[in-house]
Amino acid sequence: MEKKLVIPGELVSEERKRLGGHVFIENGKIYSDALGIVADEAQAVSVIPLQGRYMPCRGDVVVGIVAQEKFAGFIIDINSFYFSFVSKKEIRESLKVGSIVSAKIFEVNEINEAELGDIRLFTGGEIVSVSPVKVPRVIGKNGSMLDVLKNGTNCNIIVGRNGRIWIKGGNIELFLKAIKKIEDEAHLSNLTNKMTAFMEENKTAAV
Amino acid sequence: MVGKKEELVYVDKHGKRLDGRKVDEVRPIKIEVGVLNRAEGSCYMEWGQNKILAAVYGPREALPKHIQNPYKALVNYSYRMASFSVPERKNPKPARREIEISKVCGEALEKAIFLERFPNTTIDVFVEIFDSNAGTRVAALSAASVALVDAGIPMKDMVCACGVGKAGGHIITDLNKEEEDADDAVDIPLAILPKTGEIVLLQMDGLMSKEEWKKCLEMGVKGCMQVYELQKEALKKKYSQIESTAQNNEARTEMVSDEKNSEGEFT
Repeated sequence: MEKKLVIPGELVSEERKRLGGHVFIENGKIYSDALGIVADEAQAVSVIPLQGRYMPCRGDVVVGIVAQEKFAGFIIDINSFYFSFVSKKEIRESLKVGSIVSAKIFEVNEINEAELGDIRLFTGGEIVSVSPVKVPRVIGKNGSMLDVLKNGTNCNIIVGRNGRIWIKGGNIELFLKAIKKIEDEAHLSNLTNKMTAFMEENKTAAV
Repeated sequence: MVGKKEELVYVDKHGKRLDGRKVDEVRPIKIEVGVLNRAEGSCYMEWGQNKILAAVYGPREALPKHIQNPYKALVNYSYRMASFSVPERKNPKPARREIEISKVCGEALEKAIFLERFPNTTIDVFVEIFDSNAGTRVAALSAASVALVDAGIPMKDMVCACGVGKAGGHIITDLNKEEEDADDAVDIPLAILPKTGEIVLLQMDGLMSKEEWKKCLEMGVKGCMQVYELQKEALKKKYSQIESTAQNNEARTEMVSDEKNSEGEFT
């Protein structure tokens, strides 16, 4: 089935269905609110956006950077609208400004401020940024794409829902190439198989 | 003694205008999406002789804090003309005209964006005019709307805009500078939401009768829909292009593997 590309305000479905992400209803018809691909299923309809920024959501695991130290805690940049504050009482590791941490979002309030918990400190490694809407493609179904990336590059990879990826060790150059390819072709189907082939190709090229 | 000015014929007997267009034809429009890397969304537009660059940043925290609205996002639209965009140097300081256009165009965009999803933030839209030949505010608004979609900001609808007016007694779409300088010229910038036909921007200077006005509105909406189709095409083209290059790459890798196989057979 060919994928339907829609722009904001374009008709997605005339039937009554459950509303998924990035659609809205007006006069009984369902319209898209973003530039994206239609996912029209039997019960629900949604649009998978191709652009956009990170919207904090309860339960997300994000990769953050410590931006500031205060008397009672740390201010962490999670690539959202605001920085988040974490109390020193909740953290066992000693953080510094510039430390890379992973965190879980415990609560989001009505103005999109996120409350963090489960702080884990990463030592070394580097951060790669991708568009937050493309993170699901980097992870794949049940982590299939992530497995391909891990096996292909031998990197330690932690993917944050906010579009930041922490990597350490392994073939980082190949990883960057792979991420670029995923970002460019995120709207196409059968990407995991393509990436497997891509990894094979580059592995043999390196040897 | 001033010599008599040569009378310009704005619409000739074949229904052609000064630049050869039909009465309801807009100037050729070229739209490019995602031209700036640092901006979250961007668009470059050439509308006839007008050259426009639009960039969108945000939604990001609105600062200073007292301007924040906890119920919705603010739209900060800034329309600027480069000093070299007009025949005589324009003072780069934002003038009365630019401040006014920034206000009305920003309000037009507000109607199309789901502002209530981003409390306490601003969405910054910067539009720069590099070359102008009448009708820049409608071109800028159309370009800004494309840039907003490119930034992934949720919108109820696109905003498409087009000029319409009167020159030499004829009602025409999308006036250029020559036509705008006619003695009896009327210029109406018009912006609509194409899905509902809701008017989000309407200004007018000059005089016209009720019948002329009705005809103007009808032609203006038609012009806007032409712009809408081009905006839609430009946005979708960005992704279909990647699709075709990806397919090409695939074909190429297949070819390479074939070659490898054939080589393997030889050795």
